[in-house]
Amino acid sequence: MSRSAQASLTRLEEIAGGEHVSMNDAELRAREVCGVVPSVVVRPADADQIAEIVRFAIAEKLAVIPMGGGTKLGIGSAPSRYDIALDLSRMNQVLAYDPHDLTLGVEPGARIADLLQTLAAQKQFLPLAVPFLDRATIGGIVATNSSSPLRHAYGSVRDFCLGMEFVPGDGTRAKSGGRVVKNVTGYDLHKLLIGSLGTLGVITRVNFRTFPLLPAQGTFVATFQTAEEASEFCVTIAHSFLTPQIAEIADSGAARLLYPQVETNSATPQSWSVILSVVGHSAVVDRHGHELDRLADEANAQEFSALGESESVSLLTRVREFPRLVLESAPSAMVFRVNLIPSAIPPMLTEFRELANRAGFDLITLTRASGILYAAFSPAAGSEIAPGACAQLAKDVLQFNAKPEAHAQSMLEWCPAEVKRLAGDVWGPPRADLPLMQKLKNAFDPQHVLSPGRFAGGI
Amino acid sequence: MRPQLIRELEALLGPKAVLSAPEDLMLYEYDGSVELGAPRCIVFPTSAQDVAGIVRLANRYETPIVGRGAGTGLSGGAIARNGGIVVTFSRMNCILEIDEVNLRAVVQPGVVNLDLSRAVEHLGLFFAPDPSSQKSCTIGGNVSENSGGPHTLAYGVTTNHVTGIELVLTDGEIVRIGGRSIESSGYDLAGLLVGSEGTLALVTEITVRLMRKPEAVKTLLAVYDTLDDTTESVVDITVRAITPAACEMLDGFTLRAVEDYVHAGFPKDCAAVLLIEVEGLKEAVEAQAAEITEVCKKHRAREVRAAQNDQERALLWRGRKEAFGAMGRISPMYYVQDGVIPRTRLPETLRRIDEISRKYDLQIGNIFHAGDGNLHPLILFDERDRAQFARVVAAGGEIMRHCVEVGGALTGEHGIGMEKNELMPLIFTPEDLALMERVRAAFNPAGRLNPGKVLPMGKACGEIRVPPVPAAAATPS
Repeated sequence: MSRSAQASLTRLEEIAGGEHVSMNDAELRAREVCGVVPSVVVRPADADQIAEIVRFAIAEKLAVIPMGGGTKLGIGSAPSRYDIALDLSRMNQVLAYDPHDLTLGVEPGARIADLLQTLAAQKQFLPLAVPFLDRATIGGIVATNSSSPLRHAYGSVRDFCLGMEFVPGDGTRAKSGGRVVKNVTGYDLHKLLIGSLGTLGVITRVNFRTFPLLPAQGTFVATFQTAEEASEFCVTIAHSFLTPQIAEIADSGAARLLYPQVETNSATPQSWSVILSVVGHSAVVDRHGHELDRLADEANAQEFSALGESESVSLLTRVREFPRLVLESAPSAMVFRVNLIPSAIPPMLTEFRELANRAGFDLITLTRASGILYAAFSPAAGSEIAPGACAQLAKDVLQFNAKPEAHAQSMLEWCPAEVKRLAGDVWGPPRADLPLMQKLKNAFDPQHVLSPGRFAGGI
Repeated sequence: MRPQLIRELEALLGPKAVLSAPEDLMLYEYDGSVELGAPRCIVFPTSAQDVAGIVRLANRYETPIVGRGAGTGLSGGAIARNGGIVVTFSRMNCILEIDEVNLRAVVQPGVVNLDLSRAVEHLGLFFAPDPSSQKSCTIGGNVSENSGGPHTLAYGVTTNHVTGIELVLTDGEIVRIGGRSIESSGYDLAGLLVGSEGTLALVTEITVRLMRKPEAVKTLLAVYDTLDDTTESVVDITVRAITPAACEMLDGFTLRAVEDYVHAGFPKDCAAVLLIEVEGLKEAVEAQAAEITEVCKKHRAREVRAAQNDQERALLWRGRKEAFGAMGRISPMYYVQDGVIPRTRLPETLRRIDEISRKYDLQIGNIFHAGDGNLHPLILFDERDRAQFARVVAAGGEIMRHCVEVGGALTGEHGIGMEKNELMPLIFTPEDLALMERVRAAFNPAGRLNPGKVLPMGKACGEIRVPPVPAAAATPS
């Protein structure tokens, strides 16, 4: 170990305590990001320690990547520098939970699974049915803007996050928003941190509004011959009085992952399923059952079924864990997250299918009807495709971002590190708002010590 | 001879798009707040290119520039505090596209809030943010202020309904942020811009979400003999996790003024009423209305009645939305507050406001969005009585401090503007404010865009500034 490395270690030990700083090889490797391994892991106890660590990193020109459960560290570009892994797992406390006000303040290292239990005891929940639920932490969920099927009814983190405290890249402590459900006091800086992959600040507290659990739940599945019919069915529901909390369109490949217990199902190779979940008073759920059945029939559905409780739990769990299921079944898959308008869903699915067929990939898609499409391309069974060809496919998919008329914006969320290196920016071609994002990065993190290189355009 | 700047603006926009005569400028000195500021000229662009040209001219002349919609804002956001050019968006008032399939509308900033809902009514759709000024306020103004309204309890505020914005930056560049899809990758620039009170960029086009009208709506009026019973009902509704679409409270004093004006059938001898609306599928509405009635009765509501038809419902809401106007009949002026508190702190907060009212010998009416803890105490006064006005300002400051002390915020929907910018240190540390300053500088480096708003101007004093001369009040939210 060099003298300067020893000095760094000593300083970090002073800040966080010796037992919370490690240079153990296995610990470092467990926190690698896109093939880049840090030099040291620090587990701070609080925001003041984080601020001190960031100031130390500024002085020593070191790069820091904050992390929680480590389930989504692969998202984003490879970091350009990475010295300190800032492991927030010790900061896992509920700081304030007022069930009567339906508000919650938590530390970033709190696991969502634990939080949901705490809330369930008060018959409440957070609408974050996110993948890797058993290990994912609030900080990571917020920093990656992890997508939940419940966004259909409740929106995403930005819609129910009331405020945050964080340590920006200058090593100070800052906050924005607050703890009340309605607030326009000052700039909404915390919204910028959502989905920022730790490039603007280290989140030290997140305040949410919570939601009441409703007494009854129903899950319904309708199957269709074409993507157009399935999508049209969802548009019809969106224009009706019905208010499902989940509406997802699964292609046959996704259906095989989502219903493992049903070998054949009605999910024939050409079939598309629409998965719907409804909550409310039992009269509301019953009404949805009848009306959805009727609408499905009018939309030319092959089949419409209401699921029993255990089937329902299993299906909704799998919908939630979809990205994880894809990666477990095809570790070399390239998984894109695409933001698009509902009317763009069928044409985009067709474009993706053609790209996949041409380049010899299997394609699996699961689409939130409100406009978030997960597309997983993996080498067709038994075949192997060179990383270069994979990267080319990635570029072809991301090229749609440059076509405003497509109303679709893709990001390559998951892929092998080698493909990521060759594919260029996983955020797609440069965009007009990039200079604004760069200015914001400089305002928050003038020395670029936080997660450098992981964000769009090399931010 | 007219100054060079005015001539250049006329050359850019045409003579009919520039006002600079003193009698014209006077009309733009104020908004819905108690603030004043004299602009140098008023311009009426018709396109983003016009706006970009204005911004470049303002840069050349090193002149401040302030955006303005309908001027209904309640914190001085549209006031030219340091003079300069006021950019009025009233001629950029086209609904550019209604995308029915995707439930989006693309509008220019000068489109009046209610006009958008009216334009999509035949499709069974509406635009959710519904500030009380919705008959006149513009969507551009709603974006700047992140406006709310009674129904934001269920639907969220403006930021939850904007997916994309076209901006003119301070260097005159035109940039689009966000898009038409429900989410966008990259930093949430639209999330930052909405509610930035015109201090970061000028907004020239907005893409908003449209909502489906619910199947059933039920409006309940619960009448109480004590304020405590009223506020305890609100707490209990929240505690039981019943989420009405709106839950508004009017105290007896306000109610009497409203009833004399609107004749909505409000009882004039009660301590307060709650106006509660539930909506959704008819099965859900019935169940919720029954639960709410039970809660209100438990807290000794004298009467809980439901509007029997759309007319009755409209009348009740007219009473709520025109309550501020009704106050104008009984007092020359009022100063409206906009504090937010955690909802469970409502009973003690109303008691505190009552104490403050007596301490300063002022009449304070309470009418507000009870369901989300957003208070609007109205402090009545006569602007000719300077001593009284000083008490008004002090009372307002005490109410604000109470909100902060119980864990609330300075403003729920009216904005900081030039009314509360010196109070920001009550909530934010110097470090918080320094970061906000850097963010503002990233967009607005010369500070020429809407100067003197949102952030404290000089030394943090934490005291309410006494405005020079209070102006007439418009229709607030």
